[in-house]
Amino acid sequence: MCHVSVGHVARAVEEAGIPTVTIMTRAFAHRATEMMIPRSLVVKHPMGHSMGAALDAERQSEVLAAALDVLDSATANGTIVEFGPAFRPGH
Amino acid sequence: MRNGYKDRVDSKQSTVDGQRAKRPYIGPPIMPAMGSPESFESFRLSFSYGSRSDLNFKFFKSISDKDAARFLQDLLHLLGDAYDTGDVLPLIDAAYAAQVAGYAPSATAPPAKFVYEDGPFTPVTAPIAEATLGMFTTSGHFLEGDDPEPFGEPALTQSEAEARVGEFLSSPPTLSEIPSDTPTDRLRVRHAGYDIRSAIADPNVTFPIDRLREFEADGRIGELAPILFSFPGATAHGHLRKELPGWIERIKDQGIDVMLLVPV
Repeated sequence: MCHVSVGHVARAVEEAGIPTVTIMTRAFAHRATEMMIPRSLVVKHPMGHSMGAALDAERQSEVLAAALDVLDSATANGTIVEFGPAFRPGH
Repeated sequence: MRNGYKDRVDSKQSTVDGQRAKRPYIGPPIMPAMGSPESFESFRLSFSYGSRSDLNFKFFKSISDKDAARFLQDLLHLLGDAYDTGDVLPLIDAAYAAQVAGYAPSATAPPAKFVYEDGPFTPVTAPIAEATLGMFTTSGHFLEGDDPEPFGEPALTQSEAEARVGEFLSSPPTLSEIPSDTPTDRLRVRHAGYDIRSAIADPNVTFPIDRLREFEADGRIGELAPILFSFPGATAHGHLRKELPGWIERIKDQGIDVMLLVPV
C-alpha cells in the first residue's frame, strides 16, 4: 500500500517540476513499473528496512548514495536500478 | 551491536506503547485458541491482523496452506543448522524470499488498481552536490509533541493502530512536518502496516535523517530542505489523491531542487 501511495506522490511531485528518486523494497518493486515511477532504486531488503538494518549506518549510506546516483544518471522515465548487495543483518 | 538494538527498542518502546515497555513484541495481544481445534488455515490467517498479528508475516494471508507449511518447515530446518553454524543468514534469506513471493503479483490476486503507461518526468539539471534535497517517506514518523492524532486519538499506540488498520485504509491521511535539524531521539513512529521495531531502534531505516545530514556535511548534497515529510502510507488512495494538491504546495514551499521518496 505504501509503495502505491508513494507512486501517486512521485507522479505529483514530478508534475510540479521536482525530480524524484524512490527507494523501493524488492517485495513491492512491481509497483514501480505499474505506476511508471520516474526513477527507482530497488533494494533487496525485507519490508520495514528500506535503508538497511537498524544501526547499520554504513549500509544506509550506501543505499542513499546509490539512490542519488540514480537521480543523477537517469535520463528516461521509468528508470529502475537494482541495488546490488543482499540485505545484511545488524552487526 | 545486537544488545544495542535490544536496549534501544526496549527503552524507547515505552514512549510508543507504554504497557509493553519490556517486551519486544508490540502487536496486538496473542490470544490462545479457544474451543475446537484450530485449522491450519485459521492459524495462517491469524498473522494478518488476527490473533497472532505480525506485520512481517502478514503475507501469510496471500499464500497457500501448502506454501505456508513448507516455509515454516524450512525455517525450522534452517534453525537446526544454525544451532551448529551460528549463522542466521539462511533464516533471514528464507523469510525474505517468502515475503517477496508472498507479495508478488499472481493470477489469483486482484489486478493492480493504478496502472499507468506513462507519466511526468522532470530532468535533473544541476549537480546533486549543489542541490537542495527534500525527503518524503511513508514511514509514519512524526515529531515528539506533534502527534498527528489519527481519528482524534491523542496518543494512539502501535497496537491500537494495528487493530484499527481498516480505519487507516478508509480515512484521509495527515502529513507530518519534521524539521531537518530534529534530534533523532525526538522522532516518534507509528504505522499500521509494518513492524516498527527496527524504526524505533533507529529511525534511519525508514527515515534516513542522520544519513542526509551527513551527506550535507560532506558536501554530497548541497543542502537539506528545512522541513522533511512523513505519513503512514497505509491509507485510502482516493483520500490521498484529494490531499495531494495541498501537500504539493507544502513541498514546493521548501524550495527544493530534488526529492528522495522512501515508501515502506
